[in-house]
Amino acid sequence: MIARPIYAVLEREVVRMLRQKTRLVSAMVRPLIWLLVIGTGFGTVIGESRGIPYQSFLIPGVIGMTMLFGAMLAALTTVYDKESGVMRMMIIAPLPHFWIVIAKVLSAALAAILQALLLIVLLALLGFISAETDFALLALALLITSLACAGIGMLTASFTRTLDNFAAIMNFVIFPVFFLSGSLYPVQNLPEILRWIATINPYTYGVDLLKHAMLGSTTMAADFSRLTDISVLISFTLLAIAISSWRFSRETAYEPMIHRLTGPKR
Amino acid sequence: MIAPAIDQTTTPAAISAAGLVKRYGALTAVDGLDLEIPAGQFFGLLGPNGSGKTTTIHMLATLVRPSTGRVRIGDIDVSQHPVLARRQIGLVFQESALDRTLTVRENLRFAGWLYNLPAAVSERRSAELLELFDMTDRRDKPVVTLSGGMRRALDIVRGVLHEPRVLFLDEPTIGLDLPNRRRIWRFIERLRARTGMTVLLTTHYLEEASPCDRVCFIRKGKLVDEGEPAALVDKLGRHILEVEADDLDTLKARLAPKLGDCLIDGDTAFFRHGEEDLSELAQLQTDTAELATAWRVRRPNLNDVFMWISAGKELRA
Repeated sequence: MIARPIYAVLEREVVRMLRQKTRLVSAMVRPLIWLLVIGTGFGTVIGESRGIPYQSFLIPGVIGMTMLFGAMLAALTTVYDKESGVMRMMIIAPLPHFWIVIAKVLSAALAAILQALLLIVLLALLGFISAETDFALLALALLITSLACAGIGMLTASFTRTLDNFAAIMNFVIFPVFFLSGSLYPVQNLPEILRWIATINPYTYGVDLLKHAMLGSTTMAADFSRLTDISVLISFTLLAIAISSWRFSRETAYEPMIHRLTGPKR
Repeated sequence: MIAPAIDQTTTPAAISAAGLVKRYGALTAVDGLDLEIPAGQFFGLLGPNGSGKTTTIHMLATLVRPSTGRVRIGDIDVSQHPVLARRQIGLVFQESALDRTLTVRENLRFAGWLYNLPAAVSERRSAELLELFDMTDRRDKPVVTLSGGMRRALDIVRGVLHEPRVLFLDEPTIGLDLPNRRRIWRFIERLRARTGMTVLLTTHYLEEASPCDRVCFIRKGKLVDEGEPAALVDKLGRHILEVEADDLDTLKARLAPKLGDCLIDGDTAFFRHGEEDLSELAQLQTDTAELATAWRVRRPNLNDVFMWISAGKELRA
């Protein structure tokens, strides 16, 4: 019943992702720059963080970064869909409108997972993936972290009218979410205010779960328990979907889109 | 070409609206509209800019909730069952609803999935419709490379892929040049001939509404008049007199007692004449020869009906 429409949205996202080569390439280059440039640079200053080399500590962080950026950009295409008109095709289709939100969240998560998998393959080729990696937990972490990142993106998209605000979204959403998490440093080492912010940042728990999966079970790199990470990520995703659906179901959400028509003709 | 004969006593209207009102704050966009459109009818909803046409279509198509009033598509109440109603309708928006980065085929594939069509069905119907619209050779082209007319045609294909019973076309030819407008109309004609679907359209180009079975003029969200296009034109009179003059006020004062109310557009006044016999007009022309710089008598058309209604005047002189 609903499977085909959801499949439609997922397929379109993948087709578009594969067609936008620069988006894919930069999704790979960005984390590698962090790892190889920043990681090496800071590694020489910091040395070891909680008993492991800084560069290794950074691996879950850069995988998380790929998922965060990948999911955010994909979820924000919802705003593009509203502007370009594809959303018109979706709102007139015979499905309750909250399914559009769910489909977009799933497609953004899928885009994030595919990019993260590609990065993991690259990292493995470069010898950065530890043999101690718990691959089952890694798979779970990829799945629920990408969903949570897609949730952040969808929430942002549902409060955004045009992509003209993209720089603002970058500065006030994506960067803070990334920097104020455990991606670059252990959360426990942060000053109190920053630690507090990192604790309410759902993305923090995604990176933390990745650390559990990738840095071996004996290290102290992770800040929270696995169960905490998993529950926070799942709860946040559900909450984000609920709020976005509510935002989306108000008719004023698409009235500007269908009423722009009465304005100047193209 | 001819809609299938339908026994209207037993078949519910394809579209019916009762007491439809939409308010946006202090603005009343649609003000108590009643519509009853039988299945298979080709119906034109006409009116000046901002008269509430698009809001009406969006209420009929479940996208905007009426402030009060009720809409039914067949026997489905759209407020209670919007999803079921959307299954029965196709809507071609005034602006494109396509993904420009995808090809024609990919767009239709996407639309087909949204309507829960199996891939094979969607593929077959796309092929047939593109054939019907002479677009088979564009199938693998990205939408961004299509001309405006082609894109609109594709939007219509997209709107009818799921074989709706009711098709809404909101200004289907707006922004297109004349050859492309004619083409779109040929496509719509072919579609109606093939499927017999009910079509409700809005348009600014009044001459395009003359093939409609019935048209309805709205102004400030209210129904002003409705009927067969030819009957409405007849209502206006037998002739339209266009007079140009430098001193229109004096001319108007001289002619109004004989011909009634007129419309003024720039330096031209438009009067109606209800008689087939032109001798009265000929006499008036002689009487006002010193005032009028040009004097034309012609048959009225839907554009005249539109102008009189837009000006808020009664059609009958």
